[in-house]
Parts: sequence; C-alpha cells; structure tokens
Amino acid sequence: MIVVRAPMRISFVGGGTDLPDFYRRSPGRVISTAIDKFVYVVINRTPLLDQVSARYSVSETVPHAKDLKHTRIKAALLDLGIEKGIEIASFATLPSKTGLGSSSSFSVALMKGLHAYLGRKLDKGETAEAASRLEIELVGEPIGKQDQYAASFGGLNVIQFNSDESVDVDPVLMDYKLRLALENHLLVFFTGVTRAASSVLTEQKSNIDKKFDTLREMADTVEEFRDRLLRGDFKGLGEVLHKAWLKKKTLASNVSNPVIDELYETGISHGAWGGKILGAGSGGCIMFLVPPEKHAEIRKTIQAVAKKHNLTDFREIPIKFVQSGAEVLFNGDHFHRLSM
Amino acid sequence: MEEFIKSFADKVRASLENLPSKEIAKALNILQAVYERDGRIYVFGNGGSLAIATHWVSDFNKTVFSHHLDKPARRFQAIRLPTTEAELTAWANDVGFDMVFVGPLKNYLQDSDVVVGISSSGNSPNVVKAVEFAKEHKVPVIGLSGFDGGKLNDLADAKILVPTPKDEYELVEVVHTAIFHLMTVYFKDYFDHLVEREAAQK
Repeated sequence: MIVVRAPMRISFVGGGTDLPDFYRRSPGRVISTAIDKFVYVVINRTPLLDQVSARYSVSETVPHAKDLKHTRIKAALLDLGIEKGIEIASFATLPSKTGLGSSSSFSVALMKGLHAYLGRKLDKGETAEAASRLEIELVGEPIGKQDQYAASFGGLNVIQFNSDESVDVDPVLMDYKLRLALENHLLVFFTGVTRAASSVLTEQKSNIDKKFDTLREMADTVEEFRDRLLRGDFKGLGEVLHKAWLKKKTLASNVSNPVIDELYETGISHGAWGGKILGAGSGGCIMFLVPPEKHAEIRKTIQAVAKKHNLTDFREIPIKFVQSGAEVLFNGDHFHRLSM
Repeated sequence: MEEFIKSFADKVRASLENLPSKEIAKALNILQAVYERDGRIYVFGNGGSLAIATHWVSDFNKTVFSHHLDKPARRFQAIRLPTTEAELTAWANDVGFDMVFVGPLKNYLQDSDVVVGISSSGNSPNVVKAVEFAKEHKVPVIGLSGFDGGKLNDLADAKILVPTPKDEYELVEVVHTAIFHLMTVYFKDYFDHLVEREAAQK
C-alpha cells in the first residue's frame, strides 16, 4: 500500500494568467501558498483480483481501467498502462469544489502515488508536470496549471508560466514571524456554494483576447504583492488584493454574483483591507486580509449576511500555511517487490 | 600574537558577514517541511564535520524544545550517520571508506526524509556518494560546503557554501557550526512562539 498526500492552496493574485492562451503570449505569474488542508490518495496492489476499484464520493469496481467513470483515474491508469489489480481511494480534509485547489491536489497526489506504484520517484517539478498533463491534455479540462505546481511544491511561491511550457517556482523566503503574521491577518470563509472551476474558466478562457491587458496587469501585480509581503506591509497587501479582485470580476460574468458581492462588501465595510474569492469564482471560499483586531466583528456580521441568504454550509475555515508539498507518507509496496 | 588573533578573527568575521542567507532560508524551509510530514533528518560528514553533525543532532533533537520538554509535542528526528562506531568501522574495514554513509543510508532512507551532507571541500567521496543516493531517491539535500563548494554544492537543493581559499578547514568549520546553531535557534524561537500563540488563543 502507498499513501500520498498533497496540500490544498490559497492563491493571492495572478489567477487566470496560468491559462495557455495567455502565457503563450506573455509570461503568466501567480503567488500562492500551500495550506494545512490535504488530499490523501491511497493505492493498494491487488494482484489476485482481475478488477479495478476507485473509491471517492462513490465506489466503483469494474473489470478494466477503461470502464471507470472517474475521468482522471481512468486516464491516468490507461496512460501508465495499469489495467487492473489495483485499488485507489481518496480522502480529504475538506470537500471538493471549495476553491482551494483540491481537485489538482488530488491529481498531484494520484500521479506521485501511481509512479511510486510503478517503482518510480518523481521530483516536485516532474510531479506537477505529470498532474498538469493528466488534467489538461489527457482529460481536456479547460484549466490552468498553477494549482498542480502549488500542490506539488508546497510553501509560499511566485510561480511563473513561460511560453515554452516551462515553469519557474521561486519560493518567497519569509521567516516564521512574517509567515505567522500573514496567517494572523487572513480570514477565510467557505461560502457554502460549491462549483466546478471549469464552469467559470470556460467563459474566462474565451475572453482571454478581450481581457489580455487586464490579465497582464494581474501578472504584474504579483511582484508588487511579493515586495509588500516581504516588507510586512499588510495594509498594502490588502489594497493589492482589493484591486486585483475588482479586475478578476471583469474576466467572466460569473466570477462573482450578488450574494458574493454582498459578503465581500460586508468584510470591507467592517475593517478588511481587501479580499477575494479563492479559486476561479462563482462560489467556493471568500478570503479577507484584515487586521487581527477586526476579526471578531467580521465573523459576526458576515455570518448574519450568510444566514440571510440561507447559506447553511457557510463557515469559517482556519488556515495555517505549510511548507509540505506532495509527499509519499508511506510506501509499503516494497514488500510486494521483495516477495514477488 | 595580537596580530595573529586579529587576523583569524577578521577572516571569521568576513565569512560571517557573507552568509548565504537565501540558501540558509531554503534549508530552514526544507526542515520545516520534514517536520510537518514527520520525516527524519540524516546528517553526516568526516572528521570535524562529523563532530559538528553530532553536536547539531543533540541540539536539534533536544535544545530546540528545551523550553517545553514536558509537552508531548512531536519533535525533530535528526540522526547522525553512522549511528555507532561499530557500524562505521564495519563498513570502512569490510567494504570501503566510501560506503560509511551511503551504506547505513540505504538501510534507513524513506521518501519523507531529508539528508544533510557536510564537507569542507565539497568533494569527500563518501559524502558525495551518500548525497547522490539521496538525489536518486528525490529526497531533498541540504549541503554545507566550503572552498569552491565542490560536487556537494552542485548536487544540493539548499546550497550552503562558505567560500574560502582551499584548505582553510578551520574557517569553514567555524562558520558551519554557526549556521547549524542558527538553525537550532530559529526553530527554538519558532516553537516558543507557537506555544505562546496557542496559550494566548485559549
């Protein structure tokens, strides 16, 4: 048995510039951090069973990998030539489609684990590349590749996407005081609304030509965000987030909606310096950059707004940053190789 | 005499003023990540470097947590290789001196671990061999070297090079010791801070 985990992430600025239609014309850039919420993938070898099992929100057992419904597990197994005799299960700290990048964290953990199953070890770059290829090329999802890199590398990084498909991951080297101070300035709430990123990104993708200059400004904002972060200028960071959120809302008609706008306004009018929706938009989590003394007030007022809109699953999600990326936590598959 | 002492102190001071801070920061991140995933840290080197490794392991395993040793918190698991003189001499005598670190490492190394190699020249064959093994297994490597960094600096993920003229072992070892103490103090402060924050939130 092999156990792999990969962290979820929060992205600060630059989302959308990781789509190929943008970075093939101008370098894409995002700044994001891995957080203490994880997706776990467990892979078990069942050489005596002529079947494949996949266990996620549903449980599938089929004779051959090609019969699976789960698009990514199916595509990954077929691509790697694993047809049967395997069980794959996934677990996570939080449900999917919350805007914390969990679907790519899953792909990253899956690819790292399947290669380990084949006796191969992938480094961080190879893992991110394998997961991006799986999602974008093999399954054909209309998504970018920032989340695969964030999950594979861990830590807080500036990630740059180049026109030749290469990716540079530049860690932002903060000491623990700065890191904990940033954590203490963030408030994250799950809106209670889940959505697939692809539903927003499909429209956003078709708008790239029209919105090219806006996207380029968003990629440029990443440097400003990093500089202010390293100076500990949290108010300035909030203002950068706020401006970037206003820009992001123009990228597609469904990035925001009246309920999200009201939640956001509630945070801003009660002391937040800035914020954004995490993930592609339309639901998921809302994050604020707030001085710590304003946290209690925002918690109270925003809960009331959520209640008014019947967002029954609305709740705060406490966040800590992690350095961990995709990691094989346990590999008991050696025994298989010893005994066979 | 005064002049001799001053000249040595000047050299040490100059080296300390030019610490490779970005690479040290990367090393601290690597150690943070290994703590989060509960992996182990294997440290090794020859002669004075082995003494530094031994000293650091005791500090890192205990001194980092010395303000709250009564807490059942998870600690670092730093291990000096080889762990016994018996194992060291068995590998050296029976197989070869180039095997003294990679031999034990092959027994222990898991995907979740980290390796810290120390070599003033950066070219000690036994250190390089163990680091190459770790790289093959995609395990992160922190390399502390001197002189021109040698092969160790090329291979390491965190390239902590203390550049000096060739053969200035003493200078390199003094600065390596300082860097290891810096890492200990960093995490000691960090865990103290976490405990305080936790207490404040209660």
